[in-house]
Amino acid sequence: MTSTAPTFGAALGDRTVPCGPDQPLLDAFLRAGVWMPNSCNQGTCGTCKLRVVRGDVDHRDSPADTLTAAERAAGLALACQARPRSDLTLALDGPAAAAGRTAHPLRDLVGTVVELADIARDTRRLRIALPEPLAFDAGQYVELTVPGSGVRRQYSLANTADVDKVLELHVRLVPGGAATAGWIFDSLGVDDEIEVTGPFGDFVLDDAEGPMVMIGGGTGLAPLVGLARTALARDPGREIHLYHGVRGAADLYDGDAMAELAARYSGFRFVPVLSHEPDPDHRSGLPTDAFVEDVPSARGWSGWLCGPPAMVDAGVKAFKRRRMAPRLIHRENFTPAC
Amino acid sequence: MTTTENDLGWLDDITMSQLERNPYPVYERLRAEAPLAYVPVLGSYVASTAELCREIATSPDFEAVITPAGGRTFGHPAIIGVNGDVHADLRGMVEPQLQPVEVDRWVDDLVRPIARRYVEAFENDGRAELVAQYAEPVSVRSLGDLLGLTDVSSDTLRDWFARLNRSFTNAAMTADGEFANPEGFLDADRAKEEIKAAVDPLIDRWITEPADTAISHWLHDGMPPGKTRDREYIYPTIYVYLLGAMQEPGHGIASTLVGLFGEPEQFEQVVDDPALIPRAIAEGMRWTSPIWSATARITTTDVHLAGVDLPKGTPVIQSYGSANHDTGLYEAPTRFDLHRPPLPHLAFGAGRHACAGIYYANHVMRIALEELFEAIPNMERDTSAEVEFWGWGFRGPTALPVTWEV
Repeated sequence: MTSTAPTFGAALGDRTVPCGPDQPLLDAFLRAGVWMPNSCNQGTCGTCKLRVVRGDVDHRDSPADTLTAAERAAGLALACQARPRSDLTLALDGPAAAAGRTAHPLRDLVGTVVELADIARDTRRLRIALPEPLAFDAGQYVELTVPGSGVRRQYSLANTADVDKVLELHVRLVPGGAATAGWIFDSLGVDDEIEVTGPFGDFVLDDAEGPMVMIGGGTGLAPLVGLARTALARDPGREIHLYHGVRGAADLYDGDAMAELAARYSGFRFVPVLSHEPDPDHRSGLPTDAFVEDVPSARGWSGWLCGPPAMVDAGVKAFKRRRMAPRLIHRENFTPAC
Repeated sequence: MTTTENDLGWLDDITMSQLERNPYPVYERLRAEAPLAYVPVLGSYVASTAELCREIATSPDFEAVITPAGGRTFGHPAIIGVNGDVHADLRGMVEPQLQPVEVDRWVDDLVRPIARRYVEAFENDGRAELVAQYAEPVSVRSLGDLLGLTDVSSDTLRDWFARLNRSFTNAAMTADGEFANPEGFLDADRAKEEIKAAVDPLIDRWITEPADTAISHWLHDGMPPGKTRDREYIYPTIYVYLLGAMQEPGHGIASTLVGLFGEPEQFEQVVDDPALIPRAIAEGMRWTSPIWSATARITTTDVHLAGVDLPKGTPVIQSYGSANHDTGLYEAPTRFDLHRPPLPHLAFGAGRHACAGIYYANHVMRIALEELFEAIPNMERDTSAEVEFWGWGFRGPTALPVTWEV
């Protein structure tokens, strides 16, 4: 992001960070390595809601249904949207009060494209070499800036945290999309420079130890691969069921890598599911329904969902139907980029 | 010339069973036409708006008084009906265990295992009646253990509060100022005999061997060495606990659940995000206030209020359940809405006699709902029957059948 002179101080707990007049509060805190709950970074999920105890903010593009008029009147703000108009004292209510712990600092880096490969129908793998390592947790995401336009798009990292110098992203073509049809599937080439900002997001492993079920729709597979590899490295015996939902077999990718993982870890199971173009070699239907068919009870399990909003909603319902505790259900909240 | 008496003739026709079935229509009319009115069947003035209830609860011209049926049930000195030094002593006796910092120290360890135990008993059944199998047992077991009544079964504690409730709210009066149904107190008299038979031996023991139970603290705390409070002095307050404090967190849990079931989107939101549970409980307590109309105040001087002259010594029943539906304060108050502006409500009363257990009760209800949604996130209300609420003094759902896929 373009840097602005830090003109205001934003205080949260015992940390005060500089925040420019045109800089979102969340950006200022993450950049300084101060964690606060955040998820979609586009004002729609409400995870980064905080209380302005002292000072004045500009709510900017905060949507009215995420931050109601009553909430604004009560002094609440969305950290990912609000800009400071004065020095600020901020507070987080409720269980989010764990915030303020040190996190991986938000960084702006210029990387180089080292791989741009067609791996499935309308799907490309993009590998970006960084000039220096980026600290992140598996499952987080980065933003790419489309050259010349200032448009920023969010892509999950398929990496594990130890692979920190070459980022792997899975990108799906969106017809007419500025970042995909207009750039990644058009003019972008190997050796091109690329502006990367990250890491963002709270789609990361927790302390739960039971079996895991992961459901990814399309390129929503990316963060799940990083999460699954990380969980298996921690506990090679972990039971992990990874469902990949796509329209047809032409959309599948990384089947060999998943088969390798399954051969190496007896608890890992990879299940591709085709929703629209059935074939005899694969399961048909929705991945969330396949989970319900396969797993009679998910009591004590944790769940991970990344994909189109309808799939994520169906996944939450399916997990609860199998009695997974809602606090163990994790969702990537940003709407897939176009 | 119009007179108030003529306009309010409809008040003469109000019956107790009408109020117990559904008090809201009568109180809606009271708020509109006579927010401070003499209601013959209750033999008392009634305050029904938020503004009046709050003013009366905090006014220096009023002090606490127990309703006649309440006094007949609990005897003297019950903490809810006394003032001055005796009230200060009783509050000083119960409050140390109920301070937030103190409650924070033990509430999770006390309540969570109890909630888990009750939910484990039915979580694989696919159906349950949550009032009798969960809300009430979690409420009475938590407080029962806190008081030191560990050997009294949850069913016995539920039976006691139900019988004390029917006596406490046996409020109907005759025109001569007599109890209209004196036989309605007898069952609670028998319950109190059972209570004494169970609690007296514990008190005998705690007098010589103090324990870390609430009742043992009540006997000893603040007393000179070797002295304890007289058991007859604390029994009325034990009854206050065995009725209100035992019953009402259960009512709050069940009412909040019914409110959420009526708003499926909000139900989903709360199940998905347990951080919303405290907010749902606050709305549940506003929506169907458990202590709907069970406390009263009395004038300490001649008072002119809301166009009514109240001579010194006039009791007024505080209708907090009605105040919490005051359209002057809440838009569409009959709707359960988790997202309504979080205005303060009067479900825990106000002033010197505001509930001493607010912090404790809110945590009991929170932990109960957390454990329930954690174990059974897929529950649905069994819609084969409507949920029935009952009660004028104390109010909540009589039963709440739910089903889920096991």
